[in-house]
Amino acid sequence: MTLKARRALEGAVTGACESAYPDEGCGLLLGPVPDAFDRPGRALFVDEVRPLPNGWDASAKTNRYLIDPRLLAKVENELSGTGRGVVGFYHSHPDHPAWPSPFDLMMAWPCLSYWIVRVDGGKAVDGRSWQRTEDGRSFVEEEIVLLEE
Amino acid sequence: MTVDIRLPTALRAFADKQEKVSVQAKTVGEALDALFAKHDRLKAQLLSPDGKLRTFVNVYVNEDDARDKQGLATPVKDGDTVLIVPAIAGGATLAAEAELSKAELKRYDRHLILPEVGLEGQKKLKKSAVLCVGAGGLGSPLALYLAAAGVGRIGIVDFDAVDESNLQRQILHDTLSVGTSKLASAKKRLLALNPHITVETHEIRLSSANAIELFKQYDVIADGTDNFPTRYLVNDACVLTGKPNAYGSIFRFEGQLSVFAAKDGPCYRCLYPEPPPPGLVPSCAEGGVLGVLPGVIGTMQAVETIKLLLGIGHPLVGRLMLYDALEQSWRTLKVKKNPACPVCGDNPTIQAPIDYEAFCGLKEKPVSTIREITVEELKLKLDKKEKFVLLDVREPHEHAAAKIPGAILIPLGELHLRAADLDKAHVYVVHCRSGARSARAVMLLCEKGFNATNVAGGILAWADRIDPSLRVS
Repeated sequence: MTLKARRALEGAVTGACESAYPDEGCGLLLGPVPDAFDRPGRALFVDEVRPLPNGWDASAKTNRYLIDPRLLAKVENELSGTGRGVVGFYHSHPDHPAWPSPFDLMMAWPCLSYWIVRVDGGKAVDGRSWQRTEDGRSFVEEEIVLLEE
Repeated sequence: MTVDIRLPTALRAFADKQEKVSVQAKTVGEALDALFAKHDRLKAQLLSPDGKLRTFVNVYVNEDDARDKQGLATPVKDGDTVLIVPAIAGGATLAAEAELSKAELKRYDRHLILPEVGLEGQKKLKKSAVLCVGAGGLGSPLALYLAAAGVGRIGIVDFDAVDESNLQRQILHDTLSVGTSKLASAKKRLLALNPHITVETHEIRLSSANAIELFKQYDVIADGTDNFPTRYLVNDACVLTGKPNAYGSIFRFEGQLSVFAAKDGPCYRCLYPEPPPPGLVPSCAEGGVLGVLPGVIGTMQAVETIKLLLGIGHPLVGRLMLYDALEQSWRTLKVKKNPACPVCGDNPTIQAPIDYEAFCGLKEKPVSTIREITVEELKLKLDKKEKFVLLDVREPHEHAAAKIPGAILIPLGELHLRAADLDKAHVYVVHCRSGARSARAVMLLCEKGFNATNVAGGILAWADRIDPSLRVS
């Protein structure tokens, strides 16, 4: 299973996460909706990244993120009928490993890719992408393949 | 009323890739039910097992959050759009909660990257306390894995010293520790493996007087005992203190595994209301045990203990697993809670630990009802060439390893069958290892009308006082 994106998009993801530090950064991954989105090991192509504000209250922004459902609904609506959609999300773990936390697992949706960036002291040091299993019990890591322009 | 339900990208795969599903409904709840009727895989994604909307699901009617209106009872009318929008949230674990040092984070990395454990789970383990009853064959792998896994406080009850014959299976101890206390040896080994934990040693014989207070200090009790009185004591004390018992036992090539006394689960007494008659089931010292067997069973006890501490998976409650090393097979039996169980049933009669030696029949005094001679008297009889049959009721391998000259072998377990072949005209003098099994044999023979006498102290006393060249383990 792979998540493909142009190298410039990876730069956009890590850049947004670095500037959010010490808070968690988050945003949407957009692209064509694959034929068998729910199939474990499906490939995904991300062609656009949309950073969004972290909607969690100020008390815990350094270890939590929240995406405003209204903003999300707006983007879904905008892409309706185009064959493209919100195929995943990215967020950062400031000073923590790029592995999903139990809270990530509890809140995760099926099919989508969850791209997690580890930011240590303001610098992105690791990026890993994950897909939740349909039974909701764990995540499986997928390879991030960066395409040159 | 016809309403459109709009699905987010993530859910379309479960609804034939449709963005929009039209249904007939009067409320949001009815609309969702109609949606699930058409696409049943959506249900598991959106509802929790008890039928409520999962926390990370937002439902909007046109522009408004259904939660701000009447929830699932919110009415809908022709042309309305019901919008299902994921609540997208997550994040790393709270840094302030992290009581794990950098060294610990590194050590437990393979746990931390399991979402089922993670930092929260690892901290749970660190805050947990497990009592291992026994630092022997089962206690060895159990305590080692619990220590390696980062269980913060590990208590061990034992009062034995390390014997050379322990080392074939008790991997907590080593050659250098022979003759020293098992607890000292265990503590040293566990702290060498993981210095981030605490090891509490209780050099006591677990008893009805001390078990309750001791068990109260721990979250899970792991029973690795080798005798019935202690096994019943551990069971009853677990039920009485409400602590789950990660139970394991071994015999020759076979092992048993279960979790007893968990909330709403059966206890050891539900499975075995009464112990076997004393002497019928030989201990490991008498019957032997495959050295790696406690490795298998003790490790499985560690698995169950860690699952109980983390609250993950399906603990082995209400199931008894039987392992056969020779067949390399596992069988699972269901164990039901017995409503009439004297300790965990509906009307328990045991409300405090009892006298377990008496319960297990170990206080019967066969000496008062059977004839007994000392090893010195036996030696005299042999020297005078008196006419009698010397009967050894130990197991064949014990007999092969060391015997009193002239003894014939009939293991205790076979005696009731083979008694018919014995001549009642003879006089029988019966011995075993220590005198306990032979006392049972003498009772059995006397009941059948034989003239039988027990050798007090068995071959151990013989080796001690008559023939020191004999090596009896």
